[in-house]
Amino acid sequence: MSEEISKLPPQVQERLLRLQQLQQTLQSVLAQKQQVELELTEIEQALSELEKLADNAVIYRAIGSLLVKAEKANVTADLNERKELLNMRATVLGKQEGRLRGQLKDLQAKLQQDLSPVSPSSR
Amino acid sequence: MAGKVEEEFRKLSVELRILEDTAEALQSRINMVNAVVTDLTYANMTLEGLGKHKMDSELLVPIGGSSYIKATLQDPDKVIVGMGAGVSVEKTLQEAKEIVKKRLDNLDKTRMSLQQRFTQVAQRISEDRAKLEELVAELRKGKPSKNV
Repeated sequence: MSEEISKLPPQVQERLLRLQQLQQTLQSVLAQKQQVELELTEIEQALSELEKLADNAVIYRAIGSLLVKAEKANVTADLNERKELLNMRATVLGKQEGRLRGQLKDLQAKLQQDLSPVSPSSR
Repeated sequence: MAGKVEEEFRKLSVELRILEDTAEALQSRINMVNAVVTDLTYANMTLEGLGKHKMDSELLVPIGGSSYIKATLQDPDKVIVGMGAGVSVEKTLQEAKEIVKKRLDNLDKTRMSLQQRFTQVAQRISEDRAKLEELVAELRKGKPSKNV
């Protein structure tokens, strides 16, 4: 396969390499976005559970493997702050994903042109 | 004709690879769900057992590595339940049992739906493999053997 690639013009080889790099970056961005979305879902669930509790409910916060008693108001504020941060991160990752998809589409179109045999009618 | 068969062979190979990846991902999710179900079943058993014990009962709390420390049951009706995102809430024993049961029910539904999807994908894989074999036979018939 790599032997076949080395027979291609250098410009096409370069584009193929760039395509691979873009695909890898996109995969990494998607994985990060999924992780952020998972954490956001978890925070939203925890916040909705906290909302149902009385203000004096006994709540614990995990610090490493320890559980430390905490106030509902403080925990809610912390979670909302984290949620806001993650929402911003998700937006940034979403934009990055869109940009990468656009670049990939352009590059794929160029490569398709590079690699498709020239039809006699187009000459 | 051979070109058409080759094209179909290529398409089917790609589809098969995607299906195999999907089956692998589904299997890994089923395994994850199973692990959580085991964990919750264990919690459920502990909660059921805890209800039979009175205040000040002597307990052995696992600390890993098949080792335990001695503890005394301070309040058998208070259980701390994790809500996710590092937050745990004190619940009564009955509430904790209900939460665990609800989680187990939800996971059972998820497991069944994943299992169903896995069965469908596995069925499709086996159909595609059969088709692929037919195409290979057709291609071999069409081309003289090269002793590869």
